[in-house]
Amino acid sequence: MTARRRLRAALVLGAALSIAGCAARGPLLGPLATGTRAGPVELEATPFFAQERYQCGPAALATALAASGVDTSAEALVPEVYLPGRQGSLQPELVGAVRRHDRLPYILPPTIEAILAALDAGMPVLVLQKLGGGPFPGWHYAVVVGYDVERDWIVLRSGTEQRKVMSASLFFATWDRAGRWAMVVLQPGTLPPDPDFARYMEAAAGLEAVGRHDSATLAYEAAARQWPTEPLPLLALANLAHARGDLVAAERGLRAAVLLDPRDAAARNNRAEVLRQLGCVSLAHREIEVARTLAAGGPLSDTVEATARAIAAQQGEDAAGCPAD
Amino acid sequence: MKNRFVVYVLCLAMLNLGSPLVAQAELLTTLQAVEASTRAQDMAAVNAALAREEVRAQFEALGVESAQIEARVAALTDAELRTLAGQMADMPAGADALAVIGIVFLVLLILEAVGVIDVFKKFP
Repeated sequence: MTARRRLRAALVLGAALSIAGCAARGPLLGPLATGTRAGPVELEATPFFAQERYQCGPAALATALAASGVDTSAEALVPEVYLPGRQGSLQPELVGAVRRHDRLPYILPPTIEAILAALDAGMPVLVLQKLGGGPFPGWHYAVVVGYDVERDWIVLRSGTEQRKVMSASLFFATWDRAGRWAMVVLQPGTLPPDPDFARYMEAAAGLEAVGRHDSATLAYEAAARQWPTEPLPLLALANLAHARGDLVAAERGLRAAVLLDPRDAAARNNRAEVLRQLGCVSLAHREIEVARTLAAGGPLSDTVEATARAIAAQQGEDAAGCPAD
Repeated sequence: MKNRFVVYVLCLAMLNLGSPLVAQAELLTTLQAVEASTRAQDMAAVNAALAREEVRAQFEALGVESAQIEARVAALTDAELRTLAGQMADMPAGADALAVIGIVFLVLLILEAVGVIDVFKKFP
């Protein structure tokens, strides 16, 4: 056997083994089929923007944004997310650009089920894939628009292909190697399917942090409806009310948060501070004393003590119209 | 219970962050709460303003138009700025699939030419 023949045999064997490896895994999507997920799903109305060289980031982002009702195009997004020195686009910048267009960037949990659930709910999913290997990593953004359990495939808007069909196992491998990053673009006030409280609140708080207060308000309101026993959305809405100078609304929201969880020292601390700013000194004093007891010895205590000192330094009578309790 | 934990972590993060939040020390910000609960807490030690400067400089070096730099930086949260400041050169930059397919084709072509494989039946 010559060296060339041996190499050839090794290559054939390697290829056969890798094919066997794929086949042994069996269908990927089949086990995820449920009663309501029997047939194929394809969001055919999802727009398509073919990419230019290196610019799958703007193209995939345009697809996801346009699907959520934003009037945009791949070319228009190039100055927002393309990084010439890296010949590509970075994930945090895609997330930031979604905020710039007043949409909520929700990062999905890293499971195939989460992607299928989003598609079931009519939401295309922007994903990062790692297609190459070694010195040619081949990072690529695409938008998942459909799946077929029966045929075990995934449908993508990808690069210059409007309808790219990829076997579920190949898609999963490339997505897995890229860290299983997947994002849906939501109109503020709408929720993803099976929403996760921490993920959703982080996305909403991101809108607030970059100054998109109206969108953040809609998102927090949706969270308050979805998780009526959680004080954090109420605290968040109160912070936004405070930021726009509406102390009365802020106080009302914080009172509701305290009612939800009377042992929430943060909500009590914030309420005491807003009451102080409203000139309701005696009630502020009562509130901060409860907060001090709750926070004693904990990581909150320094902040609460600072609030207490500010309240103690406030002189004068209670303002008119202070809440009774 | 979960929420209270979140806020406790938030306060810890706030105290570590220092100056940018001191002006609002008595009001706890929402973002710090949720970020602190889902991200590594060592990030809290990094100063957000420095990260912002760093990202600005790297954007400029990587060829972002100066008119766009401010708007792009403004769309990012402190945590994202910290991530970018440290990893902008190494983070995955999604580009396109074509280059990779081209390279695979080239490799196949070379292997074919030297006789290791025989997949292009009409190739001389």
